[in-house]
Amino acid sequence: MSHMRKVAVLMIMALVFAPLAGGVCFGAGQYPTKPIQVIVPFSPGGSSDLLARTVEKVWTKYSPQPMLIVNKPGAGGVLGEEYVVRSKPDGYTIYVGQGSGHDLVMPHLQKMPFDPLKDIAPVARLSIHSIVVCVSAKSDFKTMADVIAWSKKGNKVTAAVSTAAGSVDLVMRAISKRTGIPITTVPFKGGADSTTALAGGHLVIGGGHPSEVLPHIKAGRFRAIGVALDHRDSTLPNVPTLKEQGIDVATWGSVKGVAVPLGTPPEIIEYLASTLKKVCEDKEFKKIMARIGQPIDYLGTKEWTAFMHRAYKDYGDLIKELGIKL
Amino acid sequence: MDIFTGLINGFSIALAGTNILFCFLGAIIGTAVGVLPGLGPAATIALLLPMTYVIGSPVTAIIMMAGIYYGAMYGGSTTSILLNLPGEAASVVTCIDGYQMAKKGRAGAALGIAAIGSFIAGTVAVVGLTFFAPPLAEFALDFGPPEYFALTTLGLLLAVTLSGGSIIKGLIILIVGLLLAMVGLDPISGKIRFTFGSIVLQGGFDFVTLAMGVFGLGEILYNLESTMKTEIVTTKIGKIFPTLKDWADSKWAIFRGSTIGFFIGIIPGGGAVISSLASYAVEKRYSKHPEEFGEGAIEGVAGPESANNAASSSSFIPLLTLGIPGNAAIAMIFAALMIQGITPGPFLVAEHPDVFWGVVASMYVGNVMLLVLNLPMVGLWVQMLRVPYGILAPIIVLFTTIGVYSVQNQVFDIYSMLFFAALGYGMRKLNFDPAPLPLAFVLGPMVEQSLRQSLLISGGDLTIFVTRPISGTLVAVFVLLIVGQTLFFLKRKWR
Repeated sequence: MSHMRKVAVLMIMALVFAPLAGGVCFGAGQYPTKPIQVIVPFSPGGSSDLLARTVEKVWTKYSPQPMLIVNKPGAGGVLGEEYVVRSKPDGYTIYVGQGSGHDLVMPHLQKMPFDPLKDIAPVARLSIHSIVVCVSAKSDFKTMADVIAWSKKGNKVTAAVSTAAGSVDLVMRAISKRTGIPITTVPFKGGADSTTALAGGHLVIGGGHPSEVLPHIKAGRFRAIGVALDHRDSTLPNVPTLKEQGIDVATWGSVKGVAVPLGTPPEIIEYLASTLKKVCEDKEFKKIMARIGQPIDYLGTKEWTAFMHRAYKDYGDLIKELGIKL
Repeated sequence: MDIFTGLINGFSIALAGTNILFCFLGAIIGTAVGVLPGLGPAATIALLLPMTYVIGSPVTAIIMMAGIYYGAMYGGSTTSILLNLPGEAASVVTCIDGYQMAKKGRAGAALGIAAIGSFIAGTVAVVGLTFFAPPLAEFALDFGPPEYFALTTLGLLLAVTLSGGSIIKGLIILIVGLLLAMVGLDPISGKIRFTFGSIVLQGGFDFVTLAMGVFGLGEILYNLESTMKTEIVTTKIGKIFPTLKDWADSKWAIFRGSTIGFFIGIIPGGGAVISSLASYAVEKRYSKHPEEFGEGAIEGVAGPESANNAASSSSFIPLLTLGIPGNAAIAMIFAALMIQGITPGPFLVAEHPDVFWGVVASMYVGNVMLLVLNLPMVGLWVQMLRVPYGILAPIIVLFTTIGVYSVQNQVFDIYSMLFFAALGYGMRKLNFDPAPLPLAFVLGPMVEQSLRQSLLISGGDLTIFVTRPISGTLVAVFVLLIVGQTLFFLKRKWR
């Protein structure tokens, strides 16, 4: 019994003094002195989550403190970002998924609880997930021109898109607008569902991020016929862009950046940006990112901020031109 | 035959020291997660993911995660039976007869048959996975929007006939469930519905929140004003293990449930829910004593519990052979595989035979472990009913609150659980059976989305539902059920 008591007293003392000890050791030390909470505004298993977890895996090589990933899905990413906007700007709550679409596309369609350009501080860009237009490998289509010709013979083109007014939907509507062929877009519950439906041959064309379509391309179920970026995607170097095929459609797809609450000290932003740069240059990180079909497109804080403004305007122009309203 | 050499190789991997240890660990964690209301396998796997980097070997990591997933199916029935609190959508139907059995002092038999049924179904499904995975995977791809519409509509029909009481009340609850599911974004146009300007409602209500509120807390609130619970405690808890008669009553239910679960589980999305529903409906129909259903029929526990277990194992088929994650927990395993450098899909067997066969073999081992782990636990769980309700109830409230928060890490979900608790309490007061509510909530959005997708594809032509073989067959079954039910009803009325 007395042993138990001693153990209990020791444990309590340890509990009481642990933070003090921490204070002594790290008090004068630099950020970070405790684990960093990483908010991902989407469900576990999605592409943003996969990216955050890949960063987390490599992060500890370059930082004394680990990352703790917390998924806060809902309202297409708005809820997670709103949480970050309202968090304490101490560098211990950071955000992976800035630029995913809810902050570039949705503000042009509906009211937002925050301003995605003014109420959050960008840190760095990690990746751009382009939109790759695909057809079933069983079909005869080899290029966009084949699809257009087929449509002009009076056939109906149906397109599997991830969500209504999502990045794939916008690309399909833009293709329809620029080429003049009618495309019926059929929204699903996300990229995994829409690509599965296309794999089953239930629709004519479809699209998704490289990470979603690469497994199907490798398995011989999909043929990629166009990339909706203004340059080729490094994960699919053999697939021409839509522009190369004479279709003037280029969007930013879904951009993946890191941000922190407004008011976070500049030296912390600097620390995060430079550490993320090291992560992006890490060999293991490069290997995993190539495998999961996410190209690494690092941008530092200043360039990333400018990019966000530009992409925001580009999407606004496109939505206005296509006349999309909710 | 290379399946056999593959399997033998797989067993040599699965039975190796660390792997068998992590398989066991997965089974234990899975059982715990299944028992704890609200906490689900997806959140648990997400939480443990960083740990798997340390494990190093991808096979070991996946063996553990798979163990958590199918282990949770074993544990899921425990609270359904003892507390009328479904751990997940697929265990909703288990509440109906399982809880009645517990009230009659047969909780031990119900838990026992659920464990045995789960074991048989799990093993049957893994055998199916071993021998028929590739051809069956193509079957999963054949499910497009029209097929989903036919299947989910059939599920809705089964959900109405499910409740024991009046059909009218069943229909009312069904419609309430459908309306609750409509809150949020319109799946086709992206318009906002019934959110009253709230951003947090745009994501809609969460299923776990609804189930925990209506069943768990609703039941507790209702019990607060009655002394009914003390009856359970004072009645004899009865034999721990199922009797020979119980086994004779439920053996065919287990085999039918396993088969139904295996096939429906292959289809991505909703598979486990619909399979347990279908199994319950089939048992009620084939039974020689359908009047006992809803009053504590052991087949009503054995069938659905087998079905959801078989479905959880067969949902690995589209993951491992096509690279398609069918639900949230499987999506986490998918992510873990990708980070470990393994792309699930048609080349998995050829490129990483150790992973494929190691995981498959570990599922045989894991099912045996879970049976050995769960049967002796039955005695322990049943003792839970002896805990005074005044102590048990606050503990349940605590765990459900934590569980509900863990799903999306949103405080809002805790508030909405309280709202659903009030709803569940009101339903019990007014004598409404809550069982169809969560099922309508899950199936409703799928019916809506697949109907509108199908009509977009066909350009408004309704024949799309009958001209395709799979959806045509399902529609025929639907019509037969309606006609049969109507004739049955009229015949009874004329007498």
